[in-house]
Amino acid sequence: MNMAVAPTGTAASKPAAQEVLLDVKNVSLSFGGVQAIKDVSFNINKGEIRAIIGPNGAGKTSMLNVINGFYHPQVGEITFKGETRSAMRPYVAASQGIARTFQNVALFRGMSTLDNIMSGRTLKMHKNFFWQMLRFGPALDEEIEHRHKVEEIIDFLEIQHIRRTPVGRLPYGLQKRVELARALAMEPELLLLDEPMAGMNLEEKEDMSRFILDVNDQFGTTIALIEHDMGVVMDLSTRVVVLDHGEKIADGTPEEVSANQDVIDAYLGVAH
Amino acid sequence: MDILYNIFIDPFVQMGNAPDFLLQVLWSGFVGGTLYSLIALGFVLIFKASGVFNFAQGIMVVFAALTLVGLYNLGLPAWLALIATIGVMALLAIGVERVVLRKLVNQPDIILFMATIGLTYFLIGLGESIFGGEPKKMITEELGLPSGSTSFEPFGGLVIIEHLDVAAVVMAIVLVTGLAIFFNKTRIGRALRAVADDHQAALSVGISLNQIWAIVWFAAGIVALATGIMWGAKSDVSFALQIVALKALPVLIIGGFTSIPGAIIGGLIIGFGEKLFEIYWGSLLGSGVEGWFAYVIALIFLLFRPQGLFGEKIIERI
Repeated sequence: MNMAVAPTGTAASKPAAQEVLLDVKNVSLSFGGVQAIKDVSFNINKGEIRAIIGPNGAGKTSMLNVINGFYHPQVGEITFKGETRSAMRPYVAASQGIARTFQNVALFRGMSTLDNIMSGRTLKMHKNFFWQMLRFGPALDEEIEHRHKVEEIIDFLEIQHIRRTPVGRLPYGLQKRVELARALAMEPELLLLDEPMAGMNLEEKEDMSRFILDVNDQFGTTIALIEHDMGVVMDLSTRVVVLDHGEKIADGTPEEVSANQDVIDAYLGVAH
Repeated sequence: MDILYNIFIDPFVQMGNAPDFLLQVLWSGFVGGTLYSLIALGFVLIFKASGVFNFAQGIMVVFAALTLVGLYNLGLPAWLALIATIGVMALLAIGVERVVLRKLVNQPDIILFMATIGLTYFLIGLGESIFGGEPKKMITEELGLPSGSTSFEPFGGLVIIEHLDVAAVVMAIVLVTGLAIFFNKTRIGRALRAVADDHQAALSVGISLNQIWAIVWFAAGIVALATGIMWGAKSDVSFALQIVALKALPVLIIGGFTSIPGAIIGGLIIGFGEKLFEIYWGSLLGSGVEGWFAYVIALIFLLFRPQGLFGEKIIERI
């Protein structure tokens, strides 16, 4: 077990003996002259819902991209399940159990809902492609087993009726749900959600919130979540980290963070 | 009235009068069609995996054939030359992935397309500097391909079927079925379609772009080699072959860029149509029809069914 390095933020009220799933330490990331992330450290405990918030351009999505290996930070290290790394390829991150969704829905538009979700099982399929071609023996059993799992997820997210529909044809809210389904099909330990509720109406937001809580509750999946809707963030998350201009300005429970003067300034603007 | 007669009646009278000749025309249309299908297949593979038209497929056909002949002329036995050529195509696939594609992850399709044009010119230069520009003879007997012909005498006439053509058809059928099953039924096949749709999303579910791209380019290289052998056996192996490869474009428009069965049907439509039209209607238009027939059919398809017969539906929400 890997103990937390004492978080550097403002948080003080955290229970001390939590198991840390992901630890981000002194990470800096820049693109040419633009510093997207400046020396940010925080951690995510096993089983919690961790929100990352901040104004536009604060570096939230960059942070997620660093965690799942799309970006390689110039400085700092990331420890996931006790393994430390500074740079890694996205598919390695995926194979270690990090799944994600994207801000602007990244689905395989020409493929059906079912095929999209099945693609999330890629890493779980091991049988020789030769047997898969023949649809025979162990490979057939494997395919059936994966279909079962996928059907469970489809039931869970209540998207049975769009199973065969090409996802490009679905309304936005449902596309977001299919994306979540694909991520869940990977049976991740850490699920990264980049604005899962962007552009949704109230009802869809409530549905999505319910799904996120259920995923956390029933599958025990640890979730890191970027969201702009403060009501949602306060309701869902265990702890919140706040970024502004690439720097961490606060870290703690929703109540602590919403009372923090820096956070209020960052969101409402401050007279200089 | 003469014109109407020449268009609608006379060709069919001719067909009826010489059924053996009609059979011969149909057979050569069929053979031409399967060869077009073979070429188109190479394009479909790459298109399925990256959503781009691989401009370099034509030159890959030439390059594969040249390598095979070149290695044989160096004194290698034919079977060894064949295996070595497969090895070269594998190296080429890995090289293309390393040097060209890896840098272009998540770039727009048009950038990848431009890269394949660059690759074309690179391969032309490389091929010419190694093998020289003059046409070469494809080794056929040495590879165990049959020669000679069989003739039939249906309806009291004569139909000649060359054994080489039969071999081409068999080879095409084997390749096409194998690849169709591979890409539709396996995990790699699904991963491949995923990669074509969205690089980022594919990466996030744990698909290794590098691996998929190398596999696909290797498969396309094998198809190129098969195509090169068959086309090279019918004419010579020269850089002019890559022009023939562009005939794959109308085939793909008809069949659909993403469909392996589509490539076959499209190839056959072009093969049959071209031959029949040339022989029976060509004289009305002063012959030379074969050169443009395919493109006209493709234009008609673009008007009424732009995704082709079997292509994935084009979906756009606005």
